Order: sequence, then C-alpha cells, then structure tokens
Amino acid sequence: MMHLGVSLSPFGHHPAAWREEGATHRSLEVGYFAAQAQKAQDGALDFVFFADAQARRPQTELPLQTVPFEPTTLVAALATLIKRIGFVATAASGQHELYNLARRFASLDLISRGRVGWNLVASGPTPAWNTEYVEVVSALWDSWDEDAFGYDKPAGRFFVPQKMRVLDHRGEHFTVRGPLNVNPSPQGKPLIAQTLTLETIAIAVQSTDVFFVADASREQGRALVAEVRRLLDIQGRGRSEVRVLANIIPWIGATRAQALASFEELNARSSPGSAETQQGCDVIGTAADIADALQESFERGGVDGFTILPPVAPGGLDAFVDFVVPELQRRGLFRARYAGTTLRDHLALSRPRQPKMP
Amino acid sequence: MSSDAPKMKLGAFLMAGGHHIAAWRHPEAYARAGVDLEHFIAMTQLAERAQMDMVFFEDAAAIRERDPRLASQAARSTSFEPLSLLAALAVNTTRIGLVATASTTYNEPYGLARTFASLDQLSGGRAGWNLVTSASELEAENFVSSGLRPHAERYARAEEFADVAVALWESVETGAYIIDGRSGVYGDQAKIHPVEHHGRHFTVQGLLDSQRSLQGRPLMVQAGASDVGRDLAARTADVVFSAAQTLAEAQEFYADLKARLARFGRDPDDLKIMPGVSPIVGSTAREARAKYDALQDLIPDEVGVALLASYLSIKDLSAYPLDGPLPEMPPTAGIQSRQQLIIDLGRRENLSIRQLARHFAGARGHWQLIGTPSHIADEMEARFRGSGADGFNIMPPLFPGGLEDFVGLVIPELRRRGLFRERYEGATLRENLGLRRPTQGRALDA
Repeated sequence: MMHLGVSLSPFGHHPAAWREEGATHRSLEVGYFAAQAQKAQDGALDFVFFADAQARRPQTELPLQTVPFEPTTLVAALATLIKRIGFVATAASGQHELYNLARRFASLDLISRGRVGWNLVASGPTPAWNTEYVEVVSALWDSWDEDAFGYDKPAGRFFVPQKMRVLDHRGEHFTVRGPLNVNPSPQGKPLIAQTLTLETIAIAVQSTDVFFVADASREQGRALVAEVRRLLDIQGRGRSEVRVLANIIPWIGATRAQALASFEELNARSSPGSAETQQGCDVIGTAADIADALQESFERGGVDGFTILPPVAPGGLDAFVDFVVPELQRRGLFRARYAGTTLRDHLALSRPRQPKMP
Repeated sequence: MSSDAPKMKLGAFLMAGGHHIAAWRHPEAYARAGVDLEHFIAMTQLAERAQMDMVFFEDAAAIRERDPRLASQAARSTSFEPLSLLAALAVNTTRIGLVATASTTYNEPYGLARTFASLDQLSGGRAGWNLVTSASELEAENFVSSGLRPHAERYARAEEFADVAVALWESVETGAYIIDGRSGVYGDQAKIHPVEHHGRHFTVQGLLDSQRSLQGRPLMVQAGASDVGRDLAARTADVVFSAAQTLAEAQEFYADLKARLARFGRDPDDLKIMPGVSPIVGSTAREARAKYDALQDLIPDEVGVALLASYLSIKDLSAYPLDGPLPEMPPTAGIQSRQQLIIDLGRRENLSIRQLARHFAGARGHWQLIGTPSHIADEMEARFRGSGADGFNIMPPLFPGGLEDFVGLVIPELRRRGLFRERYEGATLRENLGLRRPTQGRALDA
C-alpha cells in the first residue's frame, strides 16, 4: 500500500502562489491550517508535514510561503483538533538545545497520542555533531520502559525506579544526564524523518525512519533512492523499518490542457524576493495522469509513497483528495480508511525496540 | 461595594494531580492527571468559565530528584513540556490567558521569542512567558558539562535575553502583511524593524516570522525575588508571581517592587503582583483542617525532607535529626529568596526539620489558607486591600477537587464582596489584566 503525506503552506508551494486570486490573510490563521489538515484526514492521508525555513531566518523582508507559526506549537494545537492523521514538524538541530528538542517532541507525541514525527534538519556545525545530537535525542526517548508508570497509590510508587534509565551521556559534543522528564508515548517514540541528500545519506541510514526525496529532477531522485536502498541493506534495516517518500508537486486539471495552463500561468508570474529551490517533482495532468505517474514511481521507482506539495492552496490539496485519492483507491493502491491509531501504524512501521537495560 | 471598585486578578496554577507533594496518592486524586491532556483542557476550561485571568505552568527541564527511589515517589517527575501544552490549550479555549515557564539559561532568544509569538497567534493574544533562570543543578546537567552557572551570571544573561525577545516581538508591526497579489506587494517595508543586536551574550539579526501580537506582545511574568531579580522584574515584567507567608512580608515585597518601577519610567499599575496561595476549602473550619491533615499524612518523611533540602539548595538534610532545628548554612547559588524565607519561618515559629518539611511539602513555600470560603475570602481581601497583592495565583493542593472548590465556593464569595469580575473585560490577556498595550520599540531603542 502506498503512503501519502501533504506539506502545508499558507498559499501553496509555488513561489507566486500568494499572487493568485483569493490569496488572503486568512491563510495565515490557525483555522486555515486546521481546515487543510482536516481535508488531508478526510483523504486518510498518513501525515501532514510542516517545513521550517528557519535555516534562513527572515532578515530584512517578511518571509514568503512560510507557515507563520513555529511548527511544533502549531502541531500541538492541530493534534488536539484533528485526531487521526499524523503530523511531522521540522526542527533544525542547530537551533534547539538537545534536551529541549527531545522533550518537545516527546510531549507532542503524548499530546497527539503517538502521531508525531520530527523532520530533522541537520544544521549543526559538523556531521559528527549532528550524529551525536540525533543519537542522544533518540536515547532520551528511551528513558522509560513502556510499563514504568504504575501509579501505585498505597505503596506511594508513582513509577518503578528500576524502569527508569538515567542516560548519563558524556560525549564529544554533548553532556546530558537525563532521564527525559516526559512519559513514553503510544508509538514508543516519535519517528525521525529527514530529507535525503548525498552528503547526509550515510549517517541518516542509521537513525532515520522516513526519508524524503526532494529533488526536482526525477533521474537524480531515483539515483538517491537506489543509493539509500543499498545502504539500508548493508545496515540490515528492512522494509518495515524505513519509508522512502518522494516529494511531488501535482498540477491537477479537468483536462491536461487546463493543468498545463495553470502551471504555465503561475510560472509566468514573477515573485520578487523568492529564491527558493524547488522541493519536488512537478507532475501535470488529469487526476488519472497524476495517479498513473504515482503508480509508476511506486511500482518501479523504489519509493514507498509520496509527500504532496500542493502548488496552490487550499485548492491544490482539495483537488488531490477529491480526485486523485479516489483514483488511487480504485486501483487498490491506497487505503480507504485508517487501520491503526499512531503515525507508525499509518506508515506500517514497526515499533522501535528499546535497548536492554544496562 | 460599587461595581467599578478595583478587582483582584486570579490565576490558576495547574500542576499534575495537585500542588501538594503527595496529592496524587489521595483517594480522590487522579494519579494520571499529569500526562492526560484532557485533564488539563478540563481544568483550563473550568478556570475560564469562572472568568479567571490565566492558567499558569511552572517548569524544570529535568527530573526533580537525583535519587531514583525518591523521584519514584513524586508525581512531578514527568510532565508535558509546557510550551507544547500551552499550544494544545490555546485552541481549546477562547478567553483565558495561558502562561508557561521557560528558561533564559537553556534557550536562545530568537527561538523562544518565536515560539511565544506563535503561541500568542494560536491563542489570539492570550500567551504569557514566565521568565526563569533555572537554579537547579539537575537541569544544568542536562545541558552543559560545566555545571550550574552563578546567580549573577544567569541574571546578566536573562537581562539581555529579555531585551532581545521584546525587540523581536516588536520587529513586525500590525498590518505589515499586505498580500496584494495584483500589485505584487507582499509586505510593507515601513512596518518591519529588523533587529540588529550584538550583545555580550547574543548576536541576533532579523525578523520574527509571525504577525504582530494582538496584545502588542506576549505577557512577561517573573518570580525572581532576589534584589537583582526584583530589578529585572521592575524593568521588564508585566506580572510578578511571588511567595509570601505573612501579610507583612507581602506588603514589604509589594511596596519595594512597586517603588522600583519609577526608576524604569513605569507606573505602579504597569506591573501586577500576584502571590501564590494554596487554599484548602471546607464548609466548616474543621472539615478544611481534616482535608489538610489527610493530605499531610500521605507525605513520606524522606520525600518531604528531600524537597525541603532542594528548596534550601543544599544537597542533603538527612544527617540532621528530624526533630531538631535547621543547621546553619551558607548563602546559596540557587534561589536565594526562597532559602531565606524558609530559614526565617523556622526561626520565627521554632519549627523542626520534620515540621518545616511537611509545611513546605504542602504548599511548596507558598501561602496556605485552610478554612471556610468566607475565611479564605477574608484573608485574600485583607492582602488585596492592604497593598500586599493585586491578585493571586491559586495553587490547589489537589486536582480537580481543589480547583472545583475554589471556583465553586470561594469565587462566588469574592464576587459578593465586589472583589472579582463577573465577566471578562477584554479579549486579550493584557486587556483582562488591565495592562496597557506596550508602546513600540521600548527595549533596545531606549
């Protein structure tokens, strides 16, 4: 079964989307994001994804296209309103104290009852620093055995002390005593996602649960997917432990000509101040054309599914859910309803094993 | 009592199953409260129906007890991370203020200012930040290899941190986002003010990525009571949450802090002082006392004594006789004001270590009121009218019962006396607290 997520943004992922008729301030409000997350859930999508442009903070101009909320707080709010779909929030390692980040995501995972993932942007000073950062975050998430909390009133034992792991990490870059002061979540721990690049691929295969392929070129994307599959095999990480999802920008029209016209019209609009690199592969056509392209890539391109980057919003996601998802369901490629409750369930990822007590 | 007489401000200080250290063991306690989001939503909505000004969350970025055996006996060992909890509460409430604690020692100003700006947007102008400098060694050990930084150093960083946060919150004016597709104008350059800060602790450039707060900027709350803490509060805080055992202590603190405001060009009304109070309400004095005793009986001595030691910022008290007095101790690098408060109380009332431990385990150093609704209202009224408080941060010993008692029994009594509002006055937290909207560009341009 194919896996599908959607990356939400105020006006759409095309740099000129905010210039479309109907783009308003309402797209900067939490209600808009809640409605889009609800739409994605109506389509039984696996997750909603929030990017974070904070690797390049806005300097002298208001940021275009960025979600006007800090992603982890937005996810906490939405998770209480939209109760089945998963949420993936981006956070850069170089911008959060390690313990705070581990705690924030563990807390999100409790708030959402196990529906959260962390999209890691490895922005620390060196690869070794980033690697240690991720290892320690993950180890903090293992601070408690699943059954550590017994709430035994008569004995006065809130938890069983032997089921708490004090990390006592003293590494080259971080000193973290632990334990994490957040209870374990229903999915064990948040999952870790990362955008696949040639530079980070070797480190990422050890700890990442979900890989995003963000190349605009299909050939480059396929080469990366082949490489990550090869490295995962070497690591002995099986298909149930990792998902590889390609970013897709679908331009959906009632006819091919209509889809192409909307693509060309937006491309013709200039948008001063935007120098974003395109984060996915354009696919242009009718709902059936889009389904064909996804099916081909899913069956022969080595990917487990896709993250949809709607070029315009809210219409882009609405059209995908209303027309492409039913087509994929008719072909038996996508679920009609959720089978489980956690994000790991949605992605059919196995629950992570806890390391043995030392 | 005329209806436009000054009204007291009331916060609900939420904490897992209760403020009492052994609350979770009480037969009526909900032991899982601290990890149940629905519980926090229900408590916040209860406080909102009662028209209370805010809910408040404290924080420590660490487990609170080094010894696993002691830690395992306390419900406060784990909790939600407060900023994510605040976000969850923001979209499940509409009127009440939402205040959470975050450390200036273990955060960076851009990330934290951005997160509170986000919370303020999610809540429609109801977010507040309780600034702390984190005095515990267990927190330090989760972040740095060099241990707890000295008091003065933490406060120097906090001063600069607060200024940068304010500048960032003011970097985008209301109406800066134009979003006019036809003309191709996204933002109004005249309404953005990029921060260009090069200080001793931080270098910060740029803008926040959110719209301007509906209340001007998020509320700033502080609880530091040392001399340097009071100055920081007088310069930057909108609300001060304090601890005072007696009316005289409360009045001294109130007069001192309000007097400091003028030095920073502020009026006495620009800062609200809200001491913590832990009410144990009974329909008779005897019933209230019985409720209190039932809770006290649940405190294991070793837990109470360990908690007292942590408040005194000393490693261990177990070497001293339980029924003897506190030993002499040197000034602490931790929370100095709280250490002094405990020493003073011990001397004044000639209390043993065991008695002090039980006393502080109960309300954790805050003021306890045990009695009927009218007795509790009397005491609160005396402090409010006697220039000891602008309001109170209510610390129920037990949830949900303790907050239900306060809302159902004490608030109606305060209303009968004209001391508390019938309806929220405004839409934002600042409006309800009667605080002016801050003027543009106060901190770094001054």
